[in-house]
Amino acid sequence: MNADDWLRTLTAELHQRRVAADAARHVVAEAATHLREGGGDPWVVFGPPQQYAGAVVESIGTAPGPRPGPVRLHAAGITKKYGRRTVLHDATLTVRAGQIAAVVGANGCGKSTFLRICAGLMSPDAGEVTVSGRLGYCPQSGGTADFLFADEHFVLVGAGQGVARGPARRAGRAAARQLGWEAGGDVQARHLSGGTRQKLNLTMSTLSAPDVLLLDEPYQGFDQGTYVNFWDQLSRLRDAGTAVVVVTHLLNQLDRVDIVLDLTPARETGWHAPGIQGGRQ
Amino acid sequence: MDSDRRGQWLRGVLDICVLALLSEGESYGYQLAQALDAAGVGPIQGGTLYPVLLRLQKTGLVTAQWREGSAGPARKYYRLTDDGYAALRAGGSAWLTFVRPVNDIVTKGATR
Repeated sequence: MNADDWLRTLTAELHQRRVAADAARHVVAEAATHLREGGGDPWVVFGPPQQYAGAVVESIGTAPGPRPGPVRLHAAGITKKYGRRTVLHDATLTVRAGQIAAVVGANGCGKSTFLRICAGLMSPDAGEVTVSGRLGYCPQSGGTADFLFADEHFVLVGAGQGVARGPARRAGRAAARQLGWEAGGDVQARHLSGGTRQKLNLTMSTLSAPDVLLLDEPYQGFDQGTYVNFWDQLSRLRDAGTAVVVVTHLLNQLDRVDIVLDLTPARETGWHAPGIQGGRQ
Repeated sequence: MDSDRRGQWLRGVLDICVLALLSEGESYGYQLAQALDAAGVGPIQGGTLYPVLLRLQKTGLVTAQWREGSAGPARKYYRLTDDGYAALRAGGSAWLTFVRPVNDIVTKGATR
């Protein structure tokens, strides 16, 4: 494991322990500076990343862990059939303000369908969805307009909420920057890379300051750095009181979520807290 | 010397050492580690030093600021606050009060 790997692991460990995002960034930057100046093996200089993250938590504690607020999304007994095939059977999920829920499960188990039903884009055959507050939805792909610049997308979203062009553009660029993306260029969406188009998609879904944010694997095509920014951003939104639901199939992301809904049909369906999270139910 | 024991002693007094070094002027982690080593305390690893600095910052005994050096990378510079000076005076005199009799006892025993 080289220094970069060590620093990356440290970053993940700090997040997993719920160290405030800004504090974690400072800790990692300071360790990186030290290693650059003094050289040496991070495993010797700082010890195993897990252990160092533990020492950091002992010193500065964790983010105040906003207590989960009122229920923002309640999906109860959701059942959906395509023809004779049942994709979803009695799926239930409750997410409060200040929580991140992960919807997991094998390909084709109905994750996107569940999210579309929560978004109101599709009707269930049985069950009911209650949303309290404003809803944001980021689809897996699509959602951007080929011939518009990123700025024009921001203006468009702003217009829907009565925000003037200038402030809408600034808000969009600021939100894009959280993902490590400078969005000001005059490139039409169709000429953006797949990953950048997804950043645009994701940025738009957060612009309306939604109370409930539904994300359908929005990170496909992201490089490692953007991917870390993405989860930082989700943590910030959560800490600001957003109820976040994210479809994911990668287990290592579950460290940073509060609720897991596993839609894999072979197992019992239902939601439960991931073991290591602790204390955020 | 038994390095385990040295580590234990250090843990008890490292924060006071750091406060004392910072009373001479602002500094950053790597420089503090070098200063401690040069003073003869022995090598201090980052994994030991930075948690102490973080705790001092959290308790308001030092403030920190990221700044570009004249040459080299941006560094996090630490500076003693008024509370830090007070803690240094109190902690420093408590340490001396503790270590003087220990020295007397050990010196007597070791030279007998």
